[in-house]
Amino acid sequence: MTYDTVADEYAREIQPENKIINKMALMQKILPCFHISSLYRTSMFPLLTVRHFTNFNASLQQEDDQPAQNLSNPYQKEKRCCILCKYDVNVDYKNARLLSQFLSPFTGKVYERNITGLCKSKQKIVESEIIKAQNAGYLAIMLKKVEYFKDPKLCDPDRPVRPHRY
Amino acid sequence: MPSYELSLMLRVLSKPELVSSLKRSAETIVQQGGVLRQFISIGTKPLPFKIRAHTQWHREGTYFLMKFDAPSSAVENLNDEFKRDIDLIRTHVVKCEEPVKQECTLEEELKSPAYRKDVQQLVEESRKTVRKQFKQNSPGFDYYPFQK
Repeated sequence: MTYDTVADEYAREIQPENKIINKMALMQKILPCFHISSLYRTSMFPLLTVRHFTNFNASLQQEDDQPAQNLSNPYQKEKRCCILCKYDVNVDYKNARLLSQFLSPFTGKVYERNITGLCKSKQKIVESEIIKAQNAGYLAIMLKKVEYFKDPKLCDPDRPVRPHRY
Repeated sequence: MPSYELSLMLRVLSKPELVSSLKRSAETIVQQGGVLRQFISIGTKPLPFKIRAHTQWHREGTYFLMKFDAPSSAVENLNDEFKRDIDLIRTHVVKCEEPVKQECTLEEELKSPAYRKDVQQLVEESRKTVRKQFKQNSPGFDYYPFQK
């Protein structure tokens, strides 16, 4: 055991928090009778038995070094949401204009899920509401009103969300 | 009593006639044991397609909305009554239900088939080999087949 370790342990005993310790200054305090130059001649001085605190300190250091657990993936992509769920839109059979946004302007047919980009439940709701609207006389059956052509496009059949055969 | 919504489509009438026909339909609801809650006018609009009602073709109509609470058995009778009314072109009774809040499952559906849960379930089902069990036809008859 070198005197360096002795000084370290003494430093930790007195000032455990203060890590930047002037070892030389402490050495002077511990062994005032000896000159600094003589400290380097380790063979001259008797070994001092001091209790080891190394294990305790080592364990503390190990805990600091361990990687942090339960961290979320920083590269995880945002969850995609269908447009009706995102804005919490209430689809109603009376709202013919909203339902018309999911109809083709050419055939007047309802677009499939791969084109509308809606989740299964919302697509089902839209389809059932369209049928209700047609039965109640709010929505035309085989055409899309010309006044609704300039509405914002929610569905683009040329760029489907999922590939389709057509 | 569950709450219902009635979307009425009336033919083009003068104001006093319109009032009387609306009153009539409201009274039928009350007769069946219903309670009227709201009365909303959507206006006179051209119909999306020509509709035939009681030997007449209509291209314009007045839309009204009636919200009411009624016993579930009353709906059938209401529809029967409305069929016979000449002024009504189309009626549609819908049950008012709060939509069930569900999370959007789009992300799950857009995954490739190998990662989709429903596809994985199908694969698991196909792996299960169902062994056909021999069906014993005894007793085969309801009666005792041998003459005593």
